[in-house]
Amino acid sequence: MNRHLGRLLVLLAGLAVAGKLAADEPAATSFPRTRISEDERDHWSFRRLNPGRVPAAGKSRWGRNPIDRFILARLDENGLVPSGRASRRILVRRAHFSLLGVPPSPEVIGQHETDRSPSAWSDLVDRMLASPHYGQRWARHWMDVARFAESGGFEHDDDRPTAFHYRDFLVAAFNRDMPFDRFVAWQLAGDELAPKDPLALMATGFLGAGVFPSQLTEAEFESSRYDELDDMVTTTGVAFLGLSIGCARCHDHKYDPIPSQDYYRLASAFTTTIRGEVTTRAPWHSTDQKVLVTSEGLPKLKHHADSRGFPHFYQQTFFLARGDVHQKHGAADTGYLQVLVRPGTSTSHWQVKPPADRKRTSFRRASLARWMTDTERGAGHLLARVIVNRLWHHHFGRGLVASPNDFGTQGEHPTHPKLLDWLAQRLLDCGWRLKPIHRLLLTSSVYCQNGRADGNRQDRDLENRFWSHRPRRRLEAEAIRDALLSVSGRLDSGMYGPGSLDENSRRRSVFLKVKRSRLVPTMMLFDWPEHLVSIGRRANTTTAAQALAFMNSPVGRGYAGSLAERLPADPGRAIVRAWQLALGRTPRADEQAAVMVFLERQEHIYRRAGRSDPIRTARVDLCQALLGMNEFIYVD
Amino acid sequence: MEPATNDCKAAAMLSRRHILARAGAGFGVVGLSGLLHSEGLLGPEARAASGLGQRGLAPLAPQQTHFPARARQVIWIFVNGGPSQVDTWDFKPGLVRRDGMSIKTFDPKFDNTTGFFRNSVGNLMASPFPFHARGECGKRISSIFPHLGNHVDRMAFVHSVHTESNNHSPALFMMNCGMPRMGLPCVGSWVTYGLGSSSQDLPAFVVMSDPKGRGLPKGHAANWSAGFLPGVFQGTHLRPQGAPINNLKRPRLMTDLSQRNQLNLLRQLNTLGNGPLSVSGELASRIQSFELAYRMQSAAPEALAIETETRQVQGLYGIGDKRCDHFARQCLVARRLVERGVRFVQLYSGGNENQRSWDGHSDIRGNHSQFAGETDRPVAGLLADLAQRGLLDETLVVWCGEFGRLPVAQTGKKPGRDHNPHCLTAWMAGGGIRGGTTYGASDDVGFRAAENRVHINDLHATILHLLGLDHELLTYSYNGRDFRLTDVAGRVIRDVIA
Repeated sequence: MNRHLGRLLVLLAGLAVAGKLAADEPAATSFPRTRISEDERDHWSFRRLNPGRVPAAGKSRWGRNPIDRFILARLDENGLVPSGRASRRILVRRAHFSLLGVPPSPEVIGQHETDRSPSAWSDLVDRMLASPHYGQRWARHWMDVARFAESGGFEHDDDRPTAFHYRDFLVAAFNRDMPFDRFVAWQLAGDELAPKDPLALMATGFLGAGVFPSQLTEAEFESSRYDELDDMVTTTGVAFLGLSIGCARCHDHKYDPIPSQDYYRLASAFTTTIRGEVTTRAPWHSTDQKVLVTSEGLPKLKHHADSRGFPHFYQQTFFLARGDVHQKHGAADTGYLQVLVRPGTSTSHWQVKPPADRKRTSFRRASLARWMTDTERGAGHLLARVIVNRLWHHHFGRGLVASPNDFGTQGEHPTHPKLLDWLAQRLLDCGWRLKPIHRLLLTSSVYCQNGRADGNRQDRDLENRFWSHRPRRRLEAEAIRDALLSVSGRLDSGMYGPGSLDENSRRRSVFLKVKRSRLVPTMMLFDWPEHLVSIGRRANTTTAAQALAFMNSPVGRGYAGSLAERLPADPGRAIVRAWQLALGRTPRADEQAAVMVFLERQEHIYRRAGRSDPIRTARVDLCQALLGMNEFIYVD
Repeated sequence: MEPATNDCKAAAMLSRRHILARAGAGFGVVGLSGLLHSEGLLGPEARAASGLGQRGLAPLAPQQTHFPARARQVIWIFVNGGPSQVDTWDFKPGLVRRDGMSIKTFDPKFDNTTGFFRNSVGNLMASPFPFHARGECGKRISSIFPHLGNHVDRMAFVHSVHTESNNHSPALFMMNCGMPRMGLPCVGSWVTYGLGSSSQDLPAFVVMSDPKGRGLPKGHAANWSAGFLPGVFQGTHLRPQGAPINNLKRPRLMTDLSQRNQLNLLRQLNTLGNGPLSVSGELASRIQSFELAYRMQSAAPEALAIETETRQVQGLYGIGDKRCDHFARQCLVARRLVERGVRFVQLYSGGNENQRSWDGHSDIRGNHSQFAGETDRPVAGLLADLAQRGLLDETLVVWCGEFGRLPVAQTGKKPGRDHNPHCLTAWMAGGGIRGGTTYGASDDVGFRAAENRVHINDLHATILHLLGLDHELLTYSYNGRDFRLTDVAGRVIRDVIA
């Protein structure tokens, strides 16, 4: 009797509390509930887009598009003037690398240099955007963000032989200019949103691309499942929203308004989500293929611990105190980050009802995707900011927000908040298509500036925060390797299909297989990520080991040999051609003179050493030196 | 070569190294950033160039410590597979007394999920090895370490270490990276990030794995991964077979002279038309990196050339002794590396798992006799050699594996022991360590860490402390959070510090 009364009281008390909360809050739980204050909602990245007006044109004749007017306004405020336009040759090279990741052929440069049409530049940008190389370049950027790899890591690092289809999805999606909101939604829930579309299924590889132990004991079953959910939540948060949601696993986020309860409600969207395989056929395949997907209700993939009874997933996700599976505080039902939910909006607003004939999945991920891409009441505005910033980051070397994976309170402030918002709004106006944004960036005068930082700019804009000039940038690992392949005439531009671990492969680096225990050594030398966690900005180091690779690696020497074979017999003409192919320009007189002396000396050394083909060897040596030049891997 | 010549060479090298060290700058500073500064080549562009800021130019240049260091470098003997504490360093008379009894008589709550195998849990089992008191401190240790027994007065034993996973790779990650998960930087990476290197001619952080074809430790290269730190801080794995380091040998058709000439051309092309002063920081740094690389071609093979050591030194490590020759060579390489300024060396004893490593599930006696036999003399030789060269004072030597083993038998044809995350023994010796001490204690049978329990974060905090680094200040900002090796915990074990 007493016990019953007590229970009733608890129930009533619970109802009373619940009555004060928003209607969609989870059922009674002892887990702490933290509300987000108005102040916390006011952090710049959580606010709705506010592009304001494009600044007036002013007197300056510099500047061709709205981006430039935003930039110019800030330069003006700081007593700076922009730099002049770089030469056509430099611009072709710059844009080829930042948009396509391969150098332009001498012919493409020549063509542009002589194109007198007033739209020569924008025509060239359009041609580049139509090139299949574009998707290969930008897919690779997204692979960093998605911590994508083709093996499971941990003890056995078992291969995921059907995982590469996710990479192929990325290449195709960028090339087709898939609207970014769909690009995001399909990575979260392509299997629910467009189950008949092979690309949508391939896209779901995103959630399942993380590491997972291959060996488990009973004591680890549940905690490793929570680790897996954590990988999904964390990567989703960082990749799409630039938020470190993962920090809220053990306690409320220390800096950002992300309570632990939001973390578990988000994690609950993935409760029954596991890796699986389906058979489908991408448009470029002639036969059906097995594709690794992340979905629900599919047969479980084999796991070493199956014989021990490893369940792969549990029916519910619980609120965990301190992230500890032994401290459960009630089941979490799916919900979203409060700070990115417009006050007064219920979680059910985004709920996608499963069609009557599709009971295999829960449609929680489809609902999550809806919230994520909702610019009115959900997270869409932040999603747009984060992606336009990534574009800026890769084209300019640093984002308008210098921490592309952190838009939280600990991240960098945007140097140009209005411009960022204007670009994000523009993305929405363009139906979430990225190519128009690329076009805007590349046809701006700020992109086309030359690199000279004179005294004034050095003093007032030491770190180029106002974009008063264009600093030189080193190419990333893939672009270096792809440039070597391209210049040596070895590049195989075949698309799609399984990747390779072989450094001698002639395909673009995006098709190198990413196996976590055997990361391609040369890529690692040039700051390739470890593909374990999302990376928004790679490191950029200069080491002796990199130089050793240029000097001694057999693969590198092979590139030099192939380049030498492309050159005409006459030494003078050979030098000119080598410079054109490798650097996109003709050699200066002093360079030509130095090289002539070098070739003579080198031939002499080899003759004295009794080498069989001194002339050829000397030429290969020259080509190798050329490929080692700063100018080869630093782009103006 | 004549022994006398070698000794002279070693002495000359030592003095050069010491002079540079005393001057407050290792070779690296002089070699790279020093040169850039002296030529006025460090420009503002460099600052924006990487997440490391200015350091991207010379990421391995020596860094300031937080406070005076007790050790300058680390050699970590990773006893891979999970060595049994009660058969090595942690003498348990209680286990002898209870030999053959059920563990439930000791711990009624014992459940079978601690180990890896549920269906082969036997009774408490005394160590098959006799224990003897060694050294002035009289530490009782297992007879499988006759040579290491000579050095107990240099060692500080921690008997109360406990970890968070009973499974190899998560436990390896825990021991190496501070979390039982993949994706975080390991101790060696944190240390090289924190301190840089005193040598720019050699990799800063070197890892050696089993050369007998028994495989890599579980989790493979993730054990020496830099995680989210820049890749330059990851461990360089010396390949156990073939060429140990990539790209050290110049192309087949070239001669030393022609390569020198080629590098001269490259330097000329990189500066022509610019004038040296307009070659900004990052570009100047890259020009210099080719010079360093050229030197590395001879420096690295030289560092690995253990055949130039005297017969006496080789003998000290056990080179030529079939049982331990392979590990002896690696230990000697380790000494030569730290002598040349390498910051962190990690050596794995044993390969993958089961009988290929210290993972003595079946036949603990055979397994531990074998692996102790492979390492006892080499590690003892290493300690003796470091000491006689005056290097032990500045070199921290760590001995431990990823977890301990259960005091109960794992039943089978020959009794073994299963995994035990609740208790393991680690010892440290050298730089800053108070020798002959014992810290913490396991329970009566060696099942759980009982007194003065030491978490892996504490062990890491202590190692960093000895190197002059405050584990709470050594942070790296990544995706919105300042990460530490010790996460949100860690306590320096003061009692083991001299």
